[in-house]
Amino acid sequence: MKSIKEHLMFILPLLAVLISIQFVIVFNRITHSYEEKLKNSYSILVSSKRTLSTPLLRTVSNKIDSVVALDKNYIAREVASDVDRKSVEAILKEMPHFYRVYLTKYLSLEELKMLEQQLKQVKGVISVDIFAESYESRHAMFALIKNSLNIFVVILFIVSLLLIIKQMEVWQLAHKKRMQIMEIFGAPLMLRSGVLFKMAIIDAIIATLLNLTLFLYLQSKTVALTGLKFLENKSVLFHISDLFLWILTSLVIVFISVLFVAFKSSEVVE
Amino acid sequence: MANVIEAQDLKLAYNNGKNVIIENATFNIQAGEFIFITGPSGSGKSTLLKSMYGQIKPFSGLLRVGGYDMKKIKKSQLQQLRRNIGIIFQDYQLINEWTVEKNVVLPLIITGYSLDVQKVQAQKLLAHVKLTEQADKYPLELSGGEQQRVGVARALSKNPFLILADEPTGNLDEFSSGVVWDLLENACEQLNATVLVVTHKIPTIFNIPYRHFIIENGGVHEVH
Repeated sequence: MKSIKEHLMFILPLLAVLISIQFVIVFNRITHSYEEKLKNSYSILVSSKRTLSTPLLRTVSNKIDSVVALDKNYIAREVASDVDRKSVEAILKEMPHFYRVYLTKYLSLEELKMLEQQLKQVKGVISVDIFAESYESRHAMFALIKNSLNIFVVILFIVSLLLIIKQMEVWQLAHKKRMQIMEIFGAPLMLRSGVLFKMAIIDAIIATLLNLTLFLYLQSKTVALTGLKFLENKSVLFHISDLFLWILTSLVIVFISVLFVAFKSSEVVE
Repeated sequence: MANVIEAQDLKLAYNNGKNVIIENATFNIQAGEFIFITGPSGSGKSTLLKSMYGQIKPFSGLLRVGGYDMKKIKKSQLQQLRRNIGIIFQDYQLINEWTVEKNVVLPLIITGYSLDVQKVQAQKLLAHVKLTEQADKYPLELSGGEQQRVGVARALSKNPFLILADEPTGNLDEFSSGVVWDLLENACEQLNATVLVVTHKIPTIFNIPYRHFIIENGGVHEVH
């Protein structure tokens, strides 16, 4: 019972650290997915006296992905549906070219405004509409949630680390005498910390497996749990590369923790 | 004969030299000698012993143990030295989670001897200290005298060139003390180990020649 408690006291904070790391990764992925979706459904409207093309506007900014011309006939029909054919032709003659400008990535509002200014400098451009208000509002709520979660995750991470440090002190008390005796008889650091390393590595593997189980479960329930349909067909919650990151993180924590205990138990007086 | 321990103007101190324990100590100890170090409580007997296995570094002067300068000794050299020294403590310092047998072969485990060698050596040593029956017990299941015999067996397990004993009979009754003194005499005579014992009182019956140092007022003096 005591042994199980001793293991849990290390496994649970370590699991919390892994969960917090994964939450940051997952939320960055969700943000990226969402921004990708926003980017794909967003375009800047540009009107120009002369013809514009993708290569031409790419010389203005490399953030421009493509330029699509709008059908002038369609616009004329929409805005002048009640006028005669001759008048429509006259309108078409005077009407500027309209373009949708698509972006390579999701830009911040500041970047967008800068791009607006750059486009306005292009010869022939009459007006540029970036739809700033709707652009910003779509992303603002998402950013707020993301920042709140990041703060929560940082707090969780710090509390977990404090719990691990506390557990290190318990380990130190439990193993100090044995480690000191071994040191007096000439045992190298790795040998006298061997028991701790073994215990901590087993705990790290258990914590990693628990984390894996949790995120695989969540992965299978992503859409049902979040209602975020755009996440469908995307493994946002778990990639196999995440597992390596967890193992690496766990091992780093294990090594630092055990070495901390081993050095604190060393007693050579200078 | 080669000096196993050599001290010249040795100064031992704590708190960066503010608390001086031993000063200007000069002495040589040769291979196979049996040494008693006595002195009042707090005189620095244990401190002197600790300096010999590198638990405390000399503040100034020279202390050479087994050829190593204890002031300049590197960590890896200190480990090497300690593996060839047997140390016995007043409070036994056994690992309570380990069996008696495992405790005895600790120095062999540290040096990386095979399990077979460990087993053979453990049986031999436990027979020597008359604890064969207790091999699978844990230290806290033994009496004080038995625990100290385990401590002696552990100190002897690698045939050390030097045995350092800090009040080895301090917590023992007369009978157990006699057994421990016999074991230390044998180690000195049969293994040709240098034995250095810190004690309050030299045993009245002691069967081999020995030298006696007294620590008083920070000085180490030999009694002739």
